[in-house]
Amino acid sequence: MIAMSNAGASRLVLRNDVAELERLAGWIEGFTRQGTSPDVSFAVQLCLEEAVANIIMYGGADASVIAVELERNYGTLVARIEDNGRQFDPTRAPGPVPAASLDEAKVGDLGIHLMRSFANGMDYERRDGRNRLTLRFVEPLAASSE
Amino acid sequence: MDISADDLAGGITKVVLRGRFDTTGAVVVELPFNKIATEKQKIVVDLSAVNFLASYGIRVLLVAAKIVKSNSGSLVVVCPDNNVAKVLKTAGMDALIPIYQTEAAAMAALAS
Repeated sequence: MIAMSNAGASRLVLRNDVAELERLAGWIEGFTRQGTSPDVSFAVQLCLEEAVANIIMYGGADASVIAVELERNYGTLVARIEDNGRQFDPTRAPGPVPAASLDEAKVGDLGIHLMRSFANGMDYERRDGRNRLTLRFVEPLAASSE
Repeated sequence: MDISADDLAGGITKVVLRGRFDTTGAVVVELPFNKIATEKQKIVVDLSAVNFLASYGIRVLLVAAKIVKSNSGSLVVVCPDNNVAKVLKTAGMDALIPIYQTEAAAMAALAS
């Protein structure tokens, strides 16, 4: 299912099935094996896992296709996730409320907060009945030389 | 991902998790981990061999810590300063579950 759309980009199409997360992880590992720092590779793994898991768990039965694209653009790695599930803009989701104690701590709702923290940028648009989320990851060296 | 548990001196149980603590891995360890959390009072969870952590893994850790606390026990985590620790801190877990960089420090905290 991996098709190279140009020299620097790769695309993966996933089914709406939690078992697909393992295939996603292997695919990202392959893409980031060369030319990506361990920290950026970790961040990409984390954010895409969270984004795709959200679509699978909350996108509804309509989310029949989830397409993920990774592209290297000099020192920046751009990830695009597109799905035809329920409209959902993670950039507008409220942040978590810090819990005062273990007893009060709410279980869940951390995925989007982690995405915001580990990606360097996150943009959303709804177009043609699809959710399109773009995440950017900047290599530390590229960031310091800009 | 796999999970193993050993009973140590002083009533401490050491739980070692290994591999990717992502959605796929968390589903595998969730039930055995909850069982240990229900049965044991002093638990040290070693994440040194965990190379990846996502929100579902955090959920499993948090639920286990809540179970242990509800039984008046305590659960602490050993995690070196790496990206897994960064995920724990970003998620605010360091304010809820004691996290130590070394097993010795975790053991000392549980023994006191």
